[in-house]
Amino acid sequence: MDNNTSAHSSTEPVRIWDLPTRIFHGLWITFFVLAWVFHEDNRYLNIHVFAGYAFLALLLFRLFWGLFGSHYARFRHFFYTPGAVVTYLKCLLSIPQQITGHNPVGAWAIFILLGLGLVVSLSGLITLGAEERQGPLATLFHPATGLLWHEIHEFLSWLMLAVVAAHVSGVIIESILHRENLALAMINGNKQRPASTLGVPRHGKMALLLCISILLGAGFYFGACLPYESGRACQPFLGPKLPDNVLWREECGSCHAIYHPTLLPQRSWVKILDTQHQHFGEDLDLDTDSRNEIHNFLTTYAAETLLTEAAYKILRSIPPETTPLRITETAYWQKKHADISQLIWQSPQVRSRAQCEACHLDAAVGTYEDSAMFIPN
Amino acid sequence: MKHPLFASVLCLGLGCSLQTTSWAAESATVTQLLAEYQQAGAAEFSVEAGKALWEKSFPTADGKQRSCTACHHLDLSKAGEHVRTGKTIAAMAPNANSKRLTKLKKVRKWLKRNCKWTLGRVCNTQEKGDLLVFLSANQ
Repeated sequence: MDNNTSAHSSTEPVRIWDLPTRIFHGLWITFFVLAWVFHEDNRYLNIHVFAGYAFLALLLFRLFWGLFGSHYARFRHFFYTPGAVVTYLKCLLSIPQQITGHNPVGAWAIFILLGLGLVVSLSGLITLGAEERQGPLATLFHPATGLLWHEIHEFLSWLMLAVVAAHVSGVIIESILHRENLALAMINGNKQRPASTLGVPRHGKMALLLCISILLGAGFYFGACLPYESGRACQPFLGPKLPDNVLWREECGSCHAIYHPTLLPQRSWVKILDTQHQHFGEDLDLDTDSRNEIHNFLTTYAAETLLTEAAYKILRSIPPETTPLRITETAYWQKKHADISQLIWQSPQVRSRAQCEACHLDAAVGTYEDSAMFIPN
Repeated sequence: MKHPLFASVLCLGLGCSLQTTSWAAESATVTQLLAEYQQAGAAEFSVEAGKALWEKSFPTADGKQRSCTACHHLDLSKAGEHVRTGKTIAAMAPNANSKRLTKLKKVRKWLKRNCKWTLGRVCNTQEKGDLLVFLSANQ
């Protein structure tokens, strides 16, 4: 077959895209889609965030590979001026010009996608820090800016999706014009080219390293889910450990669920301890030393510290002139629990609104992570 | 702390094996508290009287009934549940929960606090001693 005709007889499959580049491409799509699918329901926030971390890690790998990877994967190989893009587009309509690596338009799409990927990841990390008080930027941004960052993150993601659409359209148009399946080339790595065309090595070891790194990351992140049990909320978020106190835990946790100081403002804790002899009909009977230690702990780490998302949102929902003695009195708590049916409150696993840990698996440590929520059925 | 050491030395010296087992059922904390209560004038303590008090219901101001067993399980070897908050309360029997009745400060505190809440008054030394021997008896 190869020797039949002159023009095509001299072409053969030449490896243009090495394996790490192709795996990056496939996994980047996968994690973009995963993050998109799991962005709405709070309970799956850990999956969204993991997808985000993996997405950023892959992006960083691609930047590294753009400098040290094989020939066609290197940035300097597909660095075109805007003028080159215009020239290419003009030629596209008359005599299509076939380019072995990325063509000028595709190259620009790639740089824009990598740039957008970076700002999407960063805005996601900031949102995670500002809104959820989690991740490496946990306390760097005020929670009041959380919503804004959230919207920026969403806008950038939509923008990226639009560029993805343009990129895919470009690939389809090019594939038709050049009668060459570009998408397939990004899967098997090969393009039909004259034998003299520069091919690249497979870089199998680097590809293996990339895959193992992602798998290890997933294992580290979701290890707590194994062995998987349905009905068990997976992995209470990896977040900053909140302040703890042995005496507080023992004294306050003997009769009721433990309520972390971040769940009420300072003035509430002060009032609760000032009225310790009529604590919801019971005399707490704390001696002076115990009272002082607990008072100190509760007021030092009260909601005003903004250590958790709940701290900020509960605090914000309390009118300044009121001093709630129960978390369930706060507007934020009521709003968040408005949709929970009477049936669930009365179920034997819940029984009472005071039993936070019936649904919040991390209630005892006070983090109240979205992904640690599980309503028993 | 002095008391159990003294007791065990005494027992070893006299070779009284029966005495040793009866002392060993109680924690050092309980031994010390019982001695205190007796010094304060309490009579001989009774497991039966402790059990009766543990299971007795007391009316509250708002017309409900309270008893120790409302929050602690009737079966001392089982975990109870706080009558108002639903919080699980670990078993009271020291053989089911080795931490029970070991910390002096804690035992004093809860005997005072829970008598006040359940009976509506503090318990006298006789009642406290009866409760402690009953709880230590592990029945």
